Amino acid sequence: VDRLTVPANLDSLDDVAEYVAEAAAASGVDSGQAYHLRLAADEIVTNIIKHGYGGDDRGEVELAARCGAGRLEIEISDSAPPFDPLPHLAPPEDLASPLTDRAVGGLGLYLAAQGVDEFLYERCDGRNRNTLVVHVDPERRGG
Amino acid sequence: MAFHAVLTTDGDVATIRLSGELDAHAAPVFRDRVEEAATGDLRQLVLEMEELTYLSSAGLRGLVFAKQKMGDDVQIVMVGPSESVTETIHLTGFDRSVTVRAAAGG
Repeated sequence: VDRLTVPANLDSLDDVAEYVAEAAAASGVDSGQAYHLRLAADEIVTNIIKHGYGGDDRGEVELAARCGAGRLEIEISDSAPPFDPLPHLAPPEDLASPLTDRAVGGLGLYLAAQGVDEFLYERCDGRNRNTLVVHVDPERRGG
Repeated sequence: MAFHAVLTTDGDVATIRLSGELDAHAAPVFRDRVEEAATGDLRQLVLEMEELTYLSSAGLRGLVFAKQKMGDDVQIVMVGPSESVTETIHLTGFDRSVTVRAAAGG
């Protein structure tokens, strides 16, 4: 599958969704996994656009899908300042609070992590690299 | 798929019919509609979600905003969210603050 490179603005979210949907369809993951993988990719790319690049849409976000050995991986990379999302994947502390008392943000990375089997991060060659992995049921594995 | 949010008001009940995909790009449209609804003296805000195919945290933020704007006296009712959307609503604990209802006849 070819890589996808998009400018860091919210108009790009449709292209990201389409790219992940195509990779999911080709890998044989089920529709629930495909939905959650798209949600995870959407949340991460949204964070990169809004916080990583801080609204500067000269930045770019690159996606690369790989499948094989019972796994579908989506690697999302950017050249924004270093940001390690892994400490932010736990449920927010105010999850049980009424909405009137809740912080407005902080749900995206938690939701992203809930929807995938593995969530990896590394800083490499001056880039942030987030990798989302879903495990493919061998009975469903496609071409 | 493009996002649409159509507001109708009947007395103290405001209804927003949502369709398409509610992501960060579409969230300002939802927020505007909620803000418009919140200008009235409401008892209930009904969100018709049968045709909403996708909901991200950006859309959920619009709901936190709605609740904080309107206060605890306004009941928020979600009607007919899909299985995936319902899962997100549960994971984030929003089901503690809003009423989730199956679609009419469903």
